[in-house]
Amino acid sequence: MSLFGTATGFGAGGTGVFGATTTDSHNPMKDVEVTSPPDDSISCLAFSPPTMPGNFLIGGSWANDVRCWEVQDNGQTVPKAQQMHTGPVLDVCWSDDGSKVFTASCDKTAKMWDLNSNQAMQIAQHDGPIKSIHWIKAPNYSCIMTGSWDKTLKFWDTRSPNPMLSLPMTERCYCADVVYPMAVLATADRGLIVYQLENQPSEFRRIDSPLKHQHRCVAIFKDKQNKPTGFALGSIEGRVAIHYINPPNPAKDNFTFKCHRSNGTNTATPQDIYAVNAISFHPVHGTLATVGSDGRFSFWDKDARTKLKTSEQLDQPITACCFNSNGNIFAYASSYDWSKGHEYYNPQKKNYIFLRNAAEELKPRNKKW
Amino acid sequence: MAEGGDAEWELSKENIQPLKRGRDISVLHQALSQQQDGPSSAVCQQKQAFESELRIYNGDDPLDVWDRYVKWTEQTFPQGGKESNLPVLLERAVTQFTEEKKYHNDPRYVDLWIKFAKICSEPLEIYRYMQAQRVGGSQASFYIAWSEEYERLGNSREADKVYQEGFNNCAEPRDKLLQYHKALQARVSRQVMTTMAEKDSDEESNEPERLSLVDLKHRGKKKAIVPVNRAQAALGHNSRGLQSQGAPAPSGAKNSCFVVFDENKGPAAVTSEPKWESWAAPPPVRAKENAQKPEKWCDVKMAQKSRFGHKIVPPPLTKPTFQPYVEESDEPPRMTPCKINSAVNTVLSARKPRLEETPLKRLQEHRHLQQQQQQQETQGGKLQEKNMYCKELLFSGATEFCFEELRAERYRKKMAQETQPGQSSADPTNTETEF
Repeated sequence: MSLFGTATGFGAGGTGVFGATTTDSHNPMKDVEVTSPPDDSISCLAFSPPTMPGNFLIGGSWANDVRCWEVQDNGQTVPKAQQMHTGPVLDVCWSDDGSKVFTASCDKTAKMWDLNSNQAMQIAQHDGPIKSIHWIKAPNYSCIMTGSWDKTLKFWDTRSPNPMLSLPMTERCYCADVVYPMAVLATADRGLIVYQLENQPSEFRRIDSPLKHQHRCVAIFKDKQNKPTGFALGSIEGRVAIHYINPPNPAKDNFTFKCHRSNGTNTATPQDIYAVNAISFHPVHGTLATVGSDGRFSFWDKDARTKLKTSEQLDQPITACCFNSNGNIFAYASSYDWSKGHEYYNPQKKNYIFLRNAAEELKPRNKKW
Repeated sequence: MAEGGDAEWELSKENIQPLKRGRDISVLHQALSQQQDGPSSAVCQQKQAFESELRIYNGDDPLDVWDRYVKWTEQTFPQGGKESNLPVLLERAVTQFTEEKKYHNDPRYVDLWIKFAKICSEPLEIYRYMQAQRVGGSQASFYIAWSEEYERLGNSREADKVYQEGFNNCAEPRDKLLQYHKALQARVSRQVMTTMAEKDSDEESNEPERLSLVDLKHRGKKKAIVPVNRAQAALGHNSRGLQSQGAPAPSGAKNSCFVVFDENKGPAAVTSEPKWESWAAPPPVRAKENAQKPEKWCDVKMAQKSRFGHKIVPPPLTKPTFQPYVEESDEPPRMTPCKINSAVNTVLSARKPRLEETPLKRLQEHRHLQQQQQQQETQGGKLQEKNMYCKELLFSGATEFCFEELRAERYRKKMAQETQPGQSSADPTNTETEF
């Protein structure tokens, strides 16, 4: 609880350059700014696993770099290291012991970054940009899973230049998530494939999409026994689907909800619909956070089917979010997500990563036990 | 070797769709050889290049990209088919520029429309729609295609009218229109002549007597002759019908004397030697299959009719004595539940044809929507929902893109320009600075 201080303690940690006045809307939630954020849009964020003492945040960006910050208990962030790709970085992940970081890039390669030696080496190669990268830790093997726009899903032993397994897909990979022994992959053309990872990765099931629009983000959630049991899928048109793999009652258990839309059901003005850019589940409470092109983040309780909180509107879209391993910190990145094309891109606009105390706000609405 | 190569495409002629423009033999060779290797990366890359060009083109002639993309697709996928995506592509291309007045009489745009019409099930409707929208009104090719469609349907009068309208609208090039019109007239008159000649000869020879029981002569330009042996055909048909009707009867008769294997009887019946049962006294249960035990009538239900008017046969209540083994992984995928009540529908319901979904309908709807939106924007009216993202960029071309793909394409283009130092240094006010 006191590990990450309280919300009031954060104010001092901010840079304070803008004085957080009411006119400035880059940080309406008065959260802690991460120092020296990337120079271009932030595509992905990831916190270090629980096996590591302390909290380290990794962020990849369209400026081709991957940065690592240490987040101290008082909320201050210290830039630690940086690695470069030859193209924009689209995804990052940690190894389970926290010694390595894996990065996927538009340059069609994936790299393994050893944080102890600060050396990075290429470990994967695709024919197209790599959109997703995940570390898989199974009892009998461990590997890296990469999903690419070249319509393949590959599994890499980090020591060999050739993949240990390559699975063809019907479409390009748009987003993926892994919680052993389950992997979910959402592709273009609203494809949805579930893989099982026991013994050896293999396709488990193809699912008809519960959503009507392009898939954008997916996150696996766990049941009370801490086993993956379903996933949340976000689309470009302000909607998230909660989908269980083997529900006792599919008609009742699976559902979708609207989010990241303007002014509710007010009929006087049209409802603006924004893309859902990322979904993240709280590691302790099982509640979830969504972030959208509208520059807001929202917290939800999928079991009570209620909204817990919606933020004020930032002046830029929120492109990525994640929780730290004990769920006390919620990190979100404010930068342009290309949702309106290049005409609306302003390279001069500064990008931010904010840290928020998530210990209280993500508690489920009514605890049943 | 070259001869062998030439012969190669002859072997797979059936895979090549005819193209009005003709085909480039070298491209055809390439396309056919690539087909054998499966989807090649070169084709994919080219396609990807077109797709991205559609989205990031910012010149003043966006139709050019579509035109090249369609032509390339035609040449690269000689067999047509799903992977060519040609129908989708044509529909999108045509829809894209419905509001662009400057293209309405552009030969390339009209050409796209004609190609689109030809793959539709009702080309005439498309041509009429084009006319109503004033697309191709001054293009000779439009009238020619339209007229040809009428001629194909055997309506030479309308076909001629279309040409007249073309002349009235001063369609260009006039020579071409004239030439095609003359050709049409020649075809029609030749047809009339031949029918006349036949008629004459018919009249000359056959006038005195009317022959009965001879082959029928065909009349008019329709060459179809009614089969003479009509009676036989009808007989054949009848006999077939009779057979199929009669078929169950004997088998039903046989049933009564055959021993039907019944698993519920238990293993004893199986192991015992089959006994011949006498004709005189078959087991009573099987002899009278309709025999019913007397029972109360008040709680017997009538066969119910479903909403669709079919009778529902209630599923037999007897359960199999065994539990079918289903492997866990073989379970059908669980999907979002369908609303059909499984108790009512014991059979899979056939997919209902989407009546309204013709390409033309979609086009009209698209246009309607656009106009509505414009109206509402000008009036500050109320739309129900508004997408706050660049939908037209994501769903251009034959495939969809995500935001990151759009951005990556921009990035790639910028990188490609930077690696050509001559270009970027010569052009400091590069448009790509906005990246």
